[in-house]
Amino acid sequence: MLKLIIIAGIVCFANSVWAQYAGFTPITDISSFSSAFTAASQKTSTIKSDFVQEKELSMLSEKIVSKGKCWFKKNNLVRMEYTHPFQYLMIINNDKVYIKEGQKEITVSARSNKLFQQVNKIMMDCMQGTALSNPDFKTRVFENKTSYLVELIPVASGIKTLFKNIKVLVDKRDYAANSIEMQELSGDHTIIRFVNRELNSNLQDALFTIR
Amino acid sequence: MLLFGCASAYKNLQPASADVSRLLAFKPAYTVALYKAKIDVLDNYLSGLLLIKRMPDSSLRLVFSNEIGVQFFDFEFSSEGVFKVHSAIKQLDRKAVITTLRKDFELVLMEGINPARVTTQTRDGLIFYSFPQAKGYYRYVTNRAGDTLVRMERSTKRTPVMQAIMQEYTNGVPDSIGITHHRFKFNIGLKILPR
Repeated sequence: MLKLIIIAGIVCFANSVWAQYAGFTPITDISSFSSAFTAASQKTSTIKSDFVQEKELSMLSEKIVSKGKCWFKKNNLVRMEYTHPFQYLMIINNDKVYIKEGQKEITVSARSNKLFQQVNKIMMDCMQGTALSNPDFKTRVFENKTSYLVELIPVASGIKTLFKNIKVLVDKRDYAANSIEMQELSGDHTIIRFVNRELNSNLQDALFTIR
Repeated sequence: MLLFGCASAYKNLQPASADVSRLLAFKPAYTVALYKAKIDVLDNYLSGLLLIKRMPDSSLRLVFSNEIGVQFFDFEFSSEGVFKVHSAIKQLDRKAVITTLRKDFELVLMEGINPARVTTQTRDGLIFYSFPQAKGYYRYVTNRAGDTLVRMERSTKRTPVMQAIMQEYTNGVPDSIGITHHRFKFNIGLKILPR
């Protein structure tokens, strides 16, 4: 009887994992994936991409869609420029964050703002291939034929209050992030899809200058 | 100067008859609208997106998130006038902050007013519609003709503590909303976005 219960438990657990991400199966050898992810990321010094962001408000049955362009350069330089339906520029340059919105320009220390610091770190980790070694998260990795799905479950107290999990979809061909999905505790989620990606193009430092 | 400073902002208001339905014509007729939001509070600046949606049960939901999608708050005004906080980030989840936001949006969205309790007065070619609240008043000021909403105020008996404007209505929905507090730096600017 006990055996039956244990087997049933294992089957239920396996089903729940499999059912969580349809079409994906869990990877058991995370360390070899981690090495390949990090090695591939080390070959990438810049990324230029368009993005489409969708925030889905489940209870309201509404979707907010915004679009823009983003640039990433090693180390720790990110520029995100929203162009539709609003203009909004964010530059992350190491531990400083610059925001320009219309006439308003502000520069803040990412360290002084936990939210910026956490979002900053997630973006950097995804682009630099260090997402798996971030101690703020517990990690699981799944795969299908074309992609890896890296699931980051927050364990650090601050970020735990914001997100249930963060899922990064990584392209098997070049190990670059195709999308980042942030699942909030409320059930709402935001997915940023990167399209028209260019790796290792020449990006001027001026793109990331904070005055 | 001291005497001037203590003078009531509502001095010399004269009783006037006015049709409250003219005022209610300015109540925003939301189905769903998305605003770009800018908030200056003390030494902090917040920006993001405010989604306002009339739900099938007639309640009104307000969801504010930053540009990257992180939700700051989710408020509900039920059709019976009950206010509910569905979520609020830790930094905002304080009684004083929530109460201020509730009252501000209640005034602007005209959700907390009982037309049966209105007092109408006039001064300087303006009509003042005042609605008593548990503490203070919600006041709406229109021109004499009643075709322009000049401003909205939350006030004590003598002094406005917050003023707001709503402008450029399209299909019953204001294009711009501005909220300014007088007792501390807390300004909210909303500008509608195309969807």
